[in-house]
Amino acid sequence: MAVDTNKPSSANWWKWFDPRARDVGTWAFILNRITALGLTLYLFLHLVVLSTLAQGPQAYESFLNLIKNPIYTFGELLVVIAGIYHGLNGIRIGWTTFFKGAPIQKQILYVVLVVALIFIIFFAIRMFTT
Amino acid sequence: MSTNWNITLRINRQKGQNAPHFDDFTLEVHPDEYLLDAIERVWAYHDRSLVFAHACHHSTCGACGMRVNGVEKLTCITPIHEVTKDGGIVKIEPMRNFPVISDLVVDLSSLYARMEMVGHRAVLPLSEEPAKIGVARVVHAPDDDYLRLSDCIECGLCISACPIATTTSDYLGPAILAGAQQHGLNGDENLLSLVDCVNGVWRCHHAFECNEACPSFVDPGTKIMELRNAVIVARIKSLFASGK
Amino acid sequence: MSKPSVIIIGAGFTGVGTAHDLALRGVDVTVVERGPIASGTSGRTHGLLHCGGRYCVKDQEAGIECIEENLILRKIVPEVIEPNGGLFVALDENDLSYAETWIDGCKACNIPFKELNPEQALAEEPYLNPKLLAAFEVPDGTFDPLRYALAFAATAKSNGAKFHLYTEVEELIFDGNGNVTGIKVQDRTSGERRELHADVVVNATGPWAGQIAEKAGAHIPIHPTPGVMVAYDQRFVNRAINRLCKPSDGDIVLPQRRMVVVGTTSFEVEDVDYVPVVRDQIDMMLERGAELIPALRQAKMRGAYMAARPLIGAGTTGRSISRTFKCFDHKESDNIEGFVTITGGKATTSRAMAEKTADIVCDKLGVTTPCVTKETPLLPYHQYYTLPD
Repeated sequence: MAVDTNKPSSANWWKWFDPRARDVGTWAFILNRITALGLTLYLFLHLVVLSTLAQGPQAYESFLNLIKNPIYTFGELLVVIAGIYHGLNGIRIGWTTFFKGAPIQKQILYVVLVVALIFIIFFAIRMFTT
Repeated sequence: MSTNWNITLRINRQKGQNAPHFDDFTLEVHPDEYLLDAIERVWAYHDRSLVFAHACHHSTCGACGMRVNGVEKLTCITPIHEVTKDGGIVKIEPMRNFPVISDLVVDLSSLYARMEMVGHRAVLPLSEEPAKIGVARVVHAPDDDYLRLSDCIECGLCISACPIATTTSDYLGPAILAGAQQHGLNGDENLLSLVDCVNGVWRCHHAFECNEACPSFVDPGTKIMELRNAVIVARIKSLFASGK
Repeated sequence: MSKPSVIIIGAGFTGVGTAHDLALRGVDVTVVERGPIASGTSGRTHGLLHCGGRYCVKDQEAGIECIEENLILRKIVPEVIEPNGGLFVALDENDLSYAETWIDGCKACNIPFKELNPEQALAEEPYLNPKLLAAFEVPDGTFDPLRYALAFAATAKSNGAKFHLYTEVEELIFDGNGNVTGIKVQDRTSGERRELHADVVVNATGPWAGQIAEKAGAHIPIHPTPGVMVAYDQRFVNRAINRLCKPSDGDIVLPQRRMVVVGTTSFEVEDVDYVPVVRDQIDMMLERGAELIPALRQAKMRGAYMAARPLIGAGTTGRSISRTFKCFDHKESDNIEGFVTITGGKATTSRAMAEKTADIVCDKLGVTTPCVTKETPLLPYHQYYTLPD
């Protein structure tokens, strides 16, 4: 047996995020993971922010002033993008598992991406023009 | 197309405990030739120490699976024009997620052992695995009388392509789960517990690279989903059965 | 006293079949093979489980062997066979005029056949050329080449046989009297070299048998005779379709999984290590195959390959050489003890080849256990990988 350079191992997790020589299913897989991490991070931050409420109206007011900076609006847009994609791909995953969607998973993904794009543009416009 | 191409095969070499490296071989090929033929010529005329697996040369044995430019391919049915052009470089590596024996050969023992475990049938009635003749619809009277060699040729390409299989060898893997689905749960408690576990049907995360990689119409990813449904139905049934 | 030992060079059908037979007779068997199992001629067989109808006119010895072995293999290794029978199809008057001779041949060889009229034939196989004039049903089949070999190898392994794949014979080892006592091999996966010793070395390397025999200074009249096979991506038929005519090119179409495979041609070569696919021959297979199954023209080619038959015989070349096998005990032909070459033959009769070889080898070893491979069902082929080395 040769030196085992092929060994499956949890240390290979970073290979999940390498889309080279992979098909669109892997893109969906990668985006699902990135948006999941993003949403989890957002949830954590959200709870931290909410905890400022407990510190009294001043703490919360200063936070509201902080987020008027468009950088934060952009950050919120990222959360919206992540939520939309993750949710729609989640529907795709449910569909492929339960409703014979597996044979058409690529087509479903294309529809997901188009619908996601429409929603994202809609929300982006709303968020940046209000 | 009658003009020949000149291409370079960049082949993974691994002997004994030495670290792997790539060797380049430049060949004249016909673009319609199959990649396996070019690899065989490298062995015949360039480097007799090249180790590669092959047997049937027509996609029935499953021996010649490799990664070609990073993509899982059954090299005996992969025409050269599908993977490169004149003057191109073709990177050829062994499949992922199996121990490498040498150069382009991996050890498929675990795959065969698991297929045995789930009771995959090598020969089965045509009606259970229809061969879908596409030219015209044909109705055969007593379909069940015909037997056919099953779709899955146990090549391992799906397992090589699966991102989950890259992170653990405990995951049964697409071919095996598809094999279990081919066998059918049929009230078999052992098979049910084998597939209904964290390293069975539930470990799949829908990358569907297995469907892309399969050269033999198995669509293992689809079969995994069918098996999930079968598992759920079986569990619900047993829930009501035990409730009597 | 230790078991008598045999080294078999080559893990094609002959090698694994002989290993299986000898292991059952209590012999210590070691198989060495420079590639993986069935990576030479055997892997590339068309896959036809012959009923013998192809040979029953000109080569009745082969015809009789085929039908006998056909029935045995169906019993001992069904898991690698599509046993759906075959048809010999007459498309024109020429074919039809051959029918009577063919029928006599089948009767002489005890090959069961049943005549179908064109309507019946088309009802069974709707993709056949509707212009067919007659068809005869026979007990042909299709088998999986690699798994056939693995099944023999698995059973041999379960009875103690050892397999060293990717291990190439470099030289033979001789004692002081010029007799073979072993082999020098290189493990191609690591480059390591070592020696293996045995009472008898069996050369089962098919078309390379001549090359291996040369290492002992012996000469074997091998005529490597390749032919082309072309696989298409539609399973148009469920039976083996043979043209009812004298054996010629492109007159067999076999189903296998979701494909049909058309074969073959016949021409001699010198270099067996690599036989290039001749594109003209691919075109010929399409033409000939389409005569039997017109819809073939609408299918896509899936694979094309060459395989070198290990034909033997002095004098004549090409299709008239007998397909039976020959065992060369080099003690008789070259005064070299401990060395036996077995070559020729075809897949369908490989078990019988192995039996005759094992008889000769056991004779040399003084082993009197009889052959039991006719009645011994083979293990599931998976077990080649699951049994411990």
